[in-house]
Amino acid sequence: MHEHKIETPNEKQNRHKAMESVNVLNTLKEGFKTPPKAMDYFYNLFEDVYCNQKALHKDKVKVGTMCIQIPSEIIYALDGVPIRLCNGFYTDDEIGSDFLPQKACPLVKASVGHLSSKNLTDKPDMIYSPTTCDQKTKAGTLIASFGYEVVDVDFPRTKESEISREFFRRSIREFSADLSQKMGKKLSRKNLKASISKIGYAQSLYHQISEFRKNKIVPILGNDIFLVTNAFFFDKIDNWIEATEKLVEELEQRVKDEVNAAGKISPRIVYTGSPPIFPNYKIPLIIEDSDGIIVADETCSSNRMFNDRVAVDEWFVNDMIDSLADKYLKACTCPVFSKNDDRIRRIVELVRSHNADGVIYQAFAGCTVYELEQRSVLEAMEREGISILYIESDYSPSQHGQLSTRVEAFIESLKIKNRNKK
Amino acid sequence: MKSKIKKIINNMNLSRVRFWIQLFSFVLFVYGGYFAIDLGSKLPIFTCPYNEQSGATCYLIPLQHQLSMPAQILLGGAGISVIVGLVTFLFWFIFLNKAWCGYVCPFGTFQDWLTSLRKSMGIRYSTYTQNQFERLSKIKYVLLAIVLLAPLLMGVGALGSEWSAAFCQICPARIISPMFSGDLSQWKIDFSTKTSMILTAIGMIFAGLFLVGSFIKKRFFCFFCPMSALHFIFSKFSIVQLTKDGSKCSTCGDCYAVCDMQIKDIADDVKSTNILRDDCILCLKCVAACPENDALHFDIFKIRAFSSTREGFEKRMGLHKPKGDSGE
Repeated sequence: MHEHKIETPNEKQNRHKAMESVNVLNTLKEGFKTPPKAMDYFYNLFEDVYCNQKALHKDKVKVGTMCIQIPSEIIYALDGVPIRLCNGFYTDDEIGSDFLPQKACPLVKASVGHLSSKNLTDKPDMIYSPTTCDQKTKAGTLIASFGYEVVDVDFPRTKESEISREFFRRSIREFSADLSQKMGKKLSRKNLKASISKIGYAQSLYHQISEFRKNKIVPILGNDIFLVTNAFFFDKIDNWIEATEKLVEELEQRVKDEVNAAGKISPRIVYTGSPPIFPNYKIPLIIEDSDGIIVADETCSSNRMFNDRVAVDEWFVNDMIDSLADKYLKACTCPVFSKNDDRIRRIVELVRSHNADGVIYQAFAGCTVYELEQRSVLEAMEREGISILYIESDYSPSQHGQLSTRVEAFIESLKIKNRNKK
Repeated sequence: MKSKIKKIINNMNLSRVRFWIQLFSFVLFVYGGYFAIDLGSKLPIFTCPYNEQSGATCYLIPLQHQLSMPAQILLGGAGISVIVGLVTFLFWFIFLNKAWCGYVCPFGTFQDWLTSLRKSMGIRYSTYTQNQFERLSKIKYVLLAIVLLAPLLMGVGALGSEWSAAFCQICPARIISPMFSGDLSQWKIDFSTKTSMILTAIGMIFAGLFLVGSFIKKRFFCFFCPMSALHFIFSKFSIVQLTKDGSKCSTCGDCYAVCDMQIKDIADDVKSTNILRDDCILCLKCVAACPENDALHFDIFKIRAFSSTREGFEKRMGLHKPKGDSGE
């Protein structure tokens, strides 16, 4: 006789998450023109991890990070694997709602929800939580109450002052010492330089892809790029590098063959704001569904992870650590800082260098800092004569119709503008 | 063709190029005498004639000498010689701007070699805090004032003849440069007058500080150099400039991290186009360490001769495909 089994909460969570994932992956695979073959690696990776619960780092020490400001170079140098815990699942968002105010940021809620369920394929052995925005800062403590080992990493909220530079350098030194002690391994000139070089190489692959996206004929969808950069959160770095190398090769060929991922007159969009994290590609998918093409982005799940590099004068361990700290603080365009000028300059630069027609700025409802900075960015774009659309969204599958109407109208207006220019 | 040459230049290994230029200049200016080379006495670098083999003379020597002439003579015909001297100095200066410091000055090069020595011993450099930096950075103007005012006061009779070339008496280059050709005779205190005694004693202290300081702090002396201050007054007129396109800058601080002179503006100032600051030695390490295309560039006649590029950055920082599987 067939045994009747009741689904456990974890099984239900997995099932729901698998449904969310498949939905997005199928759209990416089949909803657009043929994606590059090299993308298969990434589609399969996300399917393995989020539909089949495959663990990638069984025999490694996994170091969870709550934000991008924890230098992965140091984690790799100490033989750990950095796992970025920022989460994009509506399923987890709902679980997290029990722990945080209703109006909190869905990304934080989802991250908390995911960790509270203890249902993780690559469960972090320890978590470092940089004190960036209010919600993330508080989330760290909340997560610790679930039984995880959470270490706060002090992060300043202003970055222009010399004090903040010294402050964060010291903070990263403390972080290195702490991790080094936990891993039972010392940072050396050799291992740190090797990992800086490796991450730097990974970044250079991203930059090569960015160059292709500057072309008139864009060989790849912005959504696919979000998937590639998103994989960097958790993938085995060597596999990621290899797969991305293949993608670069294929894109190079596509550029030669003039393969266009978009339509002939698709407006070119720079995407900014709250980060799209798999599978919450709601807005990016609507954009590219509405015949827009995302040519660049300014988000912490993509561009911000790869854009900034580390330069070292004398390759001593302390010198490298200081340079790393500077990179993660000074170049960071996170809206938590008192001033938003760097971020605005980055957006304008991306619009100019990628010849974009407009900017779409998404803020998660509850992501206070992005909501707050909306005004200064809109003002700056107006000054620069750049069209911009501001949208608020969350992780829920509802309000799709309303959002797509707004995006479509914006993209249509860009098309008309382009036509009138000619 | 043009873009190819540009690429080669922008991808160059700056530190190696710089090493050879510095070595060549060092030989030229420190041992030029052996080859009967004399490039005159108005050079904008510390090429000290107390070293008998030097191939030229530091401009501060004739400048002090000329300014110390009695006031009536100075204000009469002799004033012309001051102007001619200054014009000759400027003639040299405008070609290289502060790159005289970063590439040619033998005293600067010597400091870089002390730095290499420290590096090879595995000792980390020290830095100033921002406060110390701001305070110490003013000293070079005080020293420049000594260069200019001491001889002038002598000329009007306010100071005695023992004040002649007062700066040279305290200058560490006077004591250290002769050592390059084996002459240790400047390591002494002149007891002839009380003033000379004090000045040469200060000189000895400075020379000692110089050796210790440059060992632990990159370009220790350049920070206090009155020549550097004099350069800065005229730096706008040079044909070579260091410029910045702030719109391309991410303020990541890579340039600041490699700056021997700890100039903060290079990273943080996104408004100025001319980013050459008074402490700058125009070594161009910042341009070489900048990962943004064309954010920093070295211009000759307003034409970009050396620009920061992503590719050049990746080459110089050794960001290549990792070898082996684990990257260790």
